[in-house]
Amino acid sequence: MVAVSPLLQRRLLSTGVTKTHHKPHRQWSIKQVKKSNFADTLEDIKSHVSTSDFVAVSLQNTGFYAAPWQRVSPFDTADTAYLKAKYAAERFQVLHFAVCPFTVRASKVTAYPYNFHLFPRAELKMEMPSYSFYCQTSSLISMARQGFDFNSCINDGISYLSSEQESAAKIQIGNPMLAKNVTKSTSIHSIADSVFIERIKSHIKNWKKTCKETSTRKEDALVRSLRKLVLGNEEYDSRPSMNIDVCSERQAQLVVEMLQEFADDVVPLIIPAKGGATQAVRVVLTSSKEDKDLLQGKLQNDEQELMKKIRGFREVIDLISASQKPVVTHGSLNDLTFIHSKFIAPLPPTVDEFMCSLRLAFPLVIDVNNLMKEISPMRKVTNIPVAISQLKNRFFTPIDMEIPCQAMENEDTIHGQNVVKICELFAKLCSILKINPAAVQSDEEKQASALEAYANIFSPFCTASEEPINGDVKIWANNTRTVSCEDLVFLWGFGDRVTAGMLKSLLQESHEAFSKEFDVRLVDNSCAIVIFWQCGLSETFLNTMNKCSDMRGPLREMVSEGLRAAGYETYNRACRLGLWESRLADSLDRALADPDSASKADSKTKSSDICNEWIINLDDL
Amino acid sequence: MRMRKHQWLRTTLSRAYYCSFSSSFPLKHVTQSNFESAVADLKTHLKAADFVAIDLEMTGVASAPWRESLEFDRFDVKYLKVKDSAEKFAVVQFGVCPFRWDPLRLSFIAHPHNFYIFPRQEVPTDSSSCEFLCQTTSMDFLAKYHFDFNACIRQGVSYLSRWQEDEALRHLNLRYEDELSEQARDVPLFSITDILFSERMKNRLREWRDGLLKDTSGGSQLEGSFLNDSNQQFQNIFYKMRPALSLNGFTSHQLRLIQSVTKKHFKDLAFVRVEGESSCSQQLVVYTDSESDRDLLKKEVMGDYRRQAEVKIKAAIGFRHVIDLLSSEKKLIIGHNCFLDLAHVHSKFLGPLPFEAEEFVHSVNKCFPYIIDTKILLNTNNILRQRMKKSKTSLSSAFLSLCPQIAFASNESCNLTFSSSVKVEITSKKDSWGINVLVHLPGAFFVFKSKFCSSKSQYKSSSWISGVKHEAGYDAFMTGCIFAQACNLLGIDFKLYSPSENLACNERLQKHANLLYLSWINGDIIDLSTGHRTVESLRCRDLKNWQTGILFENIVLIWGFPSDLKTAVIKDRISKVFGPTSVTSVCRLDETAVFVQFSKSKLVADFLLVKETLDRSNDAFSVLHPLSTILEGGNTCAASYETYKDICSSPLSKVLFADQAQAVGIRWKTKLVERKEEVEIEEQDHFREENAANTISFYMEQN
Repeated sequence: MVAVSPLLQRRLLSTGVTKTHHKPHRQWSIKQVKKSNFADTLEDIKSHVSTSDFVAVSLQNTGFYAAPWQRVSPFDTADTAYLKAKYAAERFQVLHFAVCPFTVRASKVTAYPYNFHLFPRAELKMEMPSYSFYCQTSSLISMARQGFDFNSCINDGISYLSSEQESAAKIQIGNPMLAKNVTKSTSIHSIADSVFIERIKSHIKNWKKTCKETSTRKEDALVRSLRKLVLGNEEYDSRPSMNIDVCSERQAQLVVEMLQEFADDVVPLIIPAKGGATQAVRVVLTSSKEDKDLLQGKLQNDEQELMKKIRGFREVIDLISASQKPVVTHGSLNDLTFIHSKFIAPLPPTVDEFMCSLRLAFPLVIDVNNLMKEISPMRKVTNIPVAISQLKNRFFTPIDMEIPCQAMENEDTIHGQNVVKICELFAKLCSILKINPAAVQSDEEKQASALEAYANIFSPFCTASEEPINGDVKIWANNTRTVSCEDLVFLWGFGDRVTAGMLKSLLQESHEAFSKEFDVRLVDNSCAIVIFWQCGLSETFLNTMNKCSDMRGPLREMVSEGLRAAGYETYNRACRLGLWESRLADSLDRALADPDSASKADSKTKSSDICNEWIINLDDL
Repeated sequence: MRMRKHQWLRTTLSRAYYCSFSSSFPLKHVTQSNFESAVADLKTHLKAADFVAIDLEMTGVASAPWRESLEFDRFDVKYLKVKDSAEKFAVVQFGVCPFRWDPLRLSFIAHPHNFYIFPRQEVPTDSSSCEFLCQTTSMDFLAKYHFDFNACIRQGVSYLSRWQEDEALRHLNLRYEDELSEQARDVPLFSITDILFSERMKNRLREWRDGLLKDTSGGSQLEGSFLNDSNQQFQNIFYKMRPALSLNGFTSHQLRLIQSVTKKHFKDLAFVRVEGESSCSQQLVVYTDSESDRDLLKKEVMGDYRRQAEVKIKAAIGFRHVIDLLSSEKKLIIGHNCFLDLAHVHSKFLGPLPFEAEEFVHSVNKCFPYIIDTKILLNTNNILRQRMKKSKTSLSSAFLSLCPQIAFASNESCNLTFSSSVKVEITSKKDSWGINVLVHLPGAFFVFKSKFCSSKSQYKSSSWISGVKHEAGYDAFMTGCIFAQACNLLGIDFKLYSPSENLACNERLQKHANLLYLSWINGDIIDLSTGHRTVESLRCRDLKNWQTGILFENIVLIWGFPSDLKTAVIKDRISKVFGPTSVTSVCRLDETAVFVQFSKSKLVADFLLVKETLDRSNDAFSVLHPLSTILEGGNTCAASYETYKDICSSPLSKVLFADQAQAVGIRWKTKLVERKEEVEIEEQDHFREENAANTISFYMEQN
């Protein structure tokens, strides 16, 4: 925990100073970007990203969780938290993506906020980027309350494709692509290969010769077209061309390799087959070296134009990623799982793979929540406006927000201010924690690492300074007391009229495991979690639950009425297998019924692995 | 979603006439703000109506490409698909259009209402209703026709199904009982501050109570002194004719402590929570004369509390009032290809959809005893089929061909005659936003009235909006017009018709009543009153599909094969193993799955057995086997048609079928089916061979 200088505490300052900072709440002008002005904005944002130190992002989604127990809670490990976030990211849709490149110099923040309105329109008539998506009614209503315009979003939202979808789309479109220059493969050609090459080579030589001859010869148009019909010659972009069918990728490679001999005037194009393999190699004959360059340039240009259209908003993600600037978020797990699944690739099954994959795109992700946790009174605050006002009350950190006017038309929506507030909060926190945000770009390693200490932490309920304790989770967000996953037991099947208190008193009378200190909390109305503060008791209890004989009192009665219990591993498995029923009790029942649960030994070792990685830092990977 | 129905329209109709019509069409839009008055209006119209046309707009139709309606859908699978769609997608617009026969004007009077609805969750219910699915293409389609999403989300009328209402009331009763039986539990005092606070509160309350007892007349003096030193946290008021202290500015923990103190130390004080007007609750400590008086008070408070909650639940019913009206009036309901619409009505306003189509149909029939589907009417009635000739029976094309005078009405000036038998009349009408569709008899003689259509110039200046065609209210209107015209064509004489008579019982309509297309592609019809299914006989000749010959027990479902495998290759490889005539047809489900129909049902068992053996063996023979192309990659699975049904019944929806099968939890690769008894097989074989031969020849004819 960073010791905060008492001088900074606001209560010690004279009221006169503080009054000057009670400016009325400002509305910042934020540029609204839709399909119609997207292309024009792209250049602006590109230059702003390259000149700024950080990029703040903020997303608005159509929902967060499908059922109460599926929101990330303090008793989640990094793994289950990720699985929950993954499920949400796959289920819901981003409708609004705010990007704000900003720079902090002393107490001045220069920010360039942009509000992108997204809609997953199928521009290509393929089922991409998404066939369907879920909406949580409460999310839509709260967005509407903030002034979000759904009509313009759906009519004029920018579409996109993820990197992976883009490559799939390329194949489906089936446009011929320029063959990449292959270096001479070192593998030895078999006899069949050599025969194949020789055959193709002579074929091409002959074809070239005829092409050259016919082009010089003066011929009647009719004769020429007849010849074209007979010889099966085609034209590509008004140049003679020929298709060479290939049966395998190997052959395609051989053909392209061989064609390097004719590199002066022949351009090889790859025609993709449906499954992504090569269907044929198209050979285009150009009249000169210049003509060849011209053709190649044109092809490249065409491809880029098409891809630009397909990529849509992902262009922005790509340029943030290419800039390698630190990304500042609020709630990074949620936002980045969305970004990964919508714009990079489908989310991998484990949190480790996710971190690896994400790190390639965004090397440094800073969650303001993690900075906030360093300041003890702010640990619990997760709401940005509340955090800002609380910081204002406690600390003297004047931040001057400068937003060079971008929005020409006066769009006075209250919607989309969040991203600017993140910038402001970030600057405030840096100043309180005495981190120099400007240093992130400089070579001063010491300063830069100060910020990096807070980066890439994706567990929503832990902080950088806390020692990772094996498999420990917190039960309450506002409590520092931690407990090992091993000491947690899930109880369900007790009907919907039972409160946590009733359950606790019932349990107290029924088993010696409950003679020591323990707690009961309801996860949702179908399932409770029991926390044994003393190690080992959970196991005793679970063993009893499996044998009816040892039970007494109300417990016996409850078990006969359908009470069930399971350890943390079952919960973990329910998340891992994606058994997202609306009631946790149903999910746990299914997890127990799953045939894999028989192989318990295997899963148990796995679980302890997961627990050990309670706090995962990208740099450890 | 009327997407399919309207696709034709988009391409065929010139947009020029949309605009003039749409801008002037007097459709009543209903949102939260005018809901109550609109329902009151609608109630009178509904009571007087001869029939009511309905139409729905949804956020989507299929939750995955393979969930779309396919030729290979057996009736039970078809129902499962409809059920899945109705459970996942939301209804965003509900069109209700009552039609009344006016014997004086000899015309029908229509009152189209367009309700924006949105599941707002005003009362906490089951979590399944707090989210809904949107199909991207459907949303895009709605947007293209200027659907107002903002109005829907911000202003849409909420609703509660009958089942949800019962659940909410049941929960309320449980909570009421619980609260009566165990009032405030003891709060254990952990910290010193808690103990001190409790002690202080005890003294305060005693002071106040003693003050009340000491000097009942001098209340004002006491009030003053008490207020001053307590920093306005306590306020003297009267509650239910009893002196009370209202507690302000305490944390919930402190309030719990006060509650516990009151209970423990004062027999004549009661701690009550009162639901304030602005939904914030207010805590009071009330002085009571005796213990019995205290219990009485508590009961009274609980009663109030319960009544308030009940009022809240009743208020949340919202749009369902309209459905209840439709149901209680037992009016004839008209829809166009409305099986999916009724499934939505059932799941949103009645209760969860049952697993079997028969059960669903029974439940719908109980709620709406008379339903006529115009699509059925147009396709199954000989007279109407002749009239429609070859034209399509999608809603908008049927409207165009049966009621062109209404469709084109506004494009032309008043009193225009289109043909010798049809006349369109447009006149202004002051007091109503309704349109009068006047069906003059004999002969089709429509008169169409609207107050907006008074001048020609208005059309030209009207802004270009093409939205109205796909608004539920207008679609309902079109459906009703088609029905009115159809009745006319069937020779139903409305002049002789008395309002007490139910149209559905008319001898000419009776045989079409309560029939719905379970599946339009297959011509599967289900009878709502009996639950019987029939296959449409008339249209079979027109069906370009050969599906009439589908034998579901001859079908194998294969999925998970290499993605670039062509359908023709699959057919070829299987034919190589089981003979050239073994495979009747191969049909794609999506890029990861196919249906293969064999000529004999025993081939299904054979195929699965061969596949299973190949999966297990790993020798040279299996590599050379023709089926190895299909099995390449090692993820190919196969099973009989029943598995398809099982997979369809899952609430999950992955985009690709192979992913879905995996998500459903299928771990095996082949599900063998037992070969039936020899004797039986021989008998059936004979029958099937004949059948298959018929199918093939039928297929050949088609080609």
